[in-house]
Amino acid sequence: MSQLSSTRTGTRAAPSVIEASRTPTIGAPVSAEPGRVLPIIEMAVLIIAAVAPLTLQNYMTVYATRVLILCLFALSFDLVWGYAGILSLGQSLFFGMAGYGVALLSRDFHIASLFAVVPLGALIGLVAALLLAGFLLLGRHTSSVVFVSLGSMTGAYAADRLARGSYYLGGQNGIPSIQSMSIGSYTLNEGPGFYYLALIILIVVYLLSRFLLRSQFGLALAGLRENEQRIAFFGYKVQHLKAIIFAIGGAIAGIAGSLYAFHEGFVWTTILGVVMSTQVVLYVLFGGSGTLIGAVIGTAIVEGLSFWLSDNYRDIWPIILGLLLLLVILFRPLGLISLVLGERERVGTFRPSPKEIRDAAS
Amino acid sequence: MDTLFIAVFEILSFGAIVVLVVLGLGIIASMMGIFNFAQGEFVLLGAYITYLVHSIGFPVALGMMVAPIAVGALGFMLEMVVVRRFYAAPIVAMLGTYALGLIIREAVRGLTGGLYLSVPEPIGGSITVGALHFATWRCVIVVITLLVIAASYALIAYTSFGLRIRASLENPSLARVSGISTSMIYSVTFAFGAALAGLAGALIVPVFSLFADLGIRFLIQGFVAVMVGGIGSFAGPVAGASVIGTFSAALPWLMSPVIADVLVFVLAIIFIKFRPQGLVSRRGV
Repeated sequence: MSQLSSTRTGTRAAPSVIEASRTPTIGAPVSAEPGRVLPIIEMAVLIIAAVAPLTLQNYMTVYATRVLILCLFALSFDLVWGYAGILSLGQSLFFGMAGYGVALLSRDFHIASLFAVVPLGALIGLVAALLLAGFLLLGRHTSSVVFVSLGSMTGAYAADRLARGSYYLGGQNGIPSIQSMSIGSYTLNEGPGFYYLALIILIVVYLLSRFLLRSQFGLALAGLRENEQRIAFFGYKVQHLKAIIFAIGGAIAGIAGSLYAFHEGFVWTTILGVVMSTQVVLYVLFGGSGTLIGAVIGTAIVEGLSFWLSDNYRDIWPIILGLLLLLVILFRPLGLISLVLGERERVGTFRPSPKEIRDAAS
Repeated sequence: MDTLFIAVFEILSFGAIVVLVVLGLGIIASMMGIFNFAQGEFVLLGAYITYLVHSIGFPVALGMMVAPIAVGALGFMLEMVVVRRFYAAPIVAMLGTYALGLIIREAVRGLTGGLYLSVPEPIGGSITVGALHFATWRCVIVVITLLVIAASYALIAYTSFGLRIRASLENPSLARVSGISTSMIYSVTFAFGAALAGLAGALIVPVFSLFADLGIRFLIQGFVAVMVGGIGSFAGPVAGASVIGTFSAALPWLMSPVIADVLVFVLAIIFIKFRPQGLVSRRGV
């Protein structure tokens, strides 16, 4: 109420610059504030990722490629949990289904072109996520978070069990020896080539997600996460918003899954199941949910640590991981990224861009 | 006819196991509003302690008595140190208890060396009725389950301690004003739920043998059962666990085990979708 009256009086007295910064105009993008830490972190991560293969040995580059693909997977979970507050404990369902889908494409139809594999992966993830979202999120009753998390987890569990029992899908052993991915006539093998392909796809998806989240849609999502009821009162169709972001998350997980299948050269039931889903939750919580770069950093740190520690401390490494995770949840609920990133910057400042303020002033 | 009796007994005894596992989970979820993802690992820990006591030369039965006490004590401690911080945020609690479970599970995996270890039944043999043989230990599990349900119900419904638990659930601030230490009540309730899980683990380890992923097997089952039954009451989780346990045990007699396993969960999720309040929508005891 006070907000309303202050803007009313503002039209008479206050300079229009202040006016413009106060009233959220429909369609206004979320602007970047000068002197932010986030772009610096993003640039630093990008530079490290770009030069990494030049310094790493080949087997490390292969490992780093896997990490990049998992980063993509982590992004998909971060979108649905960190931005829309949907706790999807079955994100691996989309990852694994896309992986199996492209593996079958390769086995039964001998198609391994990048331009067929990645779109198919995205499509499988998108459709599967839409169907699951239609069941879990839409309907007369608003679904509780616990129901959605349990439902998606059950989906992953069921897919794992069914794939295990299916002769067509290779049962316990999965589908081995997928051929190498090709781009036109060029065959892409593990190593720097695949690394840069994964990096380019990751960057594209990252930028698209960032664009999406800084649009009006992203703003509504952030509101949804913070106070669902209020967003509903504003007239947004909350369940539809959730279903859309869930489907987008599914598509990204699908892209990651299709790349993973071709990079590893085989698919097996674990990538469908609960183990993989909880893995991605760890990555995102570790790095910091609600920031895209947090998901990437979390994946890189967890996988990096696990690479380094599992060599020397194979038995106690999972225990250390659990302890670290517990400490992060207890003392840094916003993840490691919150050590350098302020709350204000994480949530974002929602106001018109400098250009629009200038336009309003003139 | 004989097959039918055997089937009914199998279903009954498996149902009892599920009820036993779910009871602790249900009490914590209903009375405290926390979905404890470490519950499966409390079951595992109960099983491990039983194995440990047995392996250093004491009778298995002693191990089964020690397990609930030890797991309950651990639960009490964990509540004081960790879980307490999560009450304001139930979702974070799920993730936090998941981390706790991960630590316990991996610790046990390290200690057992990732092997399947068997623990003998403290009471072996079988009971013969006519031409039918029933494993004695499974009968014991059914009996103990019934006793535990009755005792837990009596504790919550009829004792002054149970009254305090319900009061703290119903209206925490009024309970505190009336001189009830709600934080103590929460610690004890959590410990009680953990102890029930420990007991469940101890009792079922002769049937399933000990392996690190023993708990995970029951976790999804437990959550689905609690949701089907309805959160907020004592009867809800028991009813849900009976239904899920019965279906899980009965369906494999009719179709392939893989399909049956998946079908139970899918049916349960569909049920919850259309009846979110569960079988028992009434709150309280």
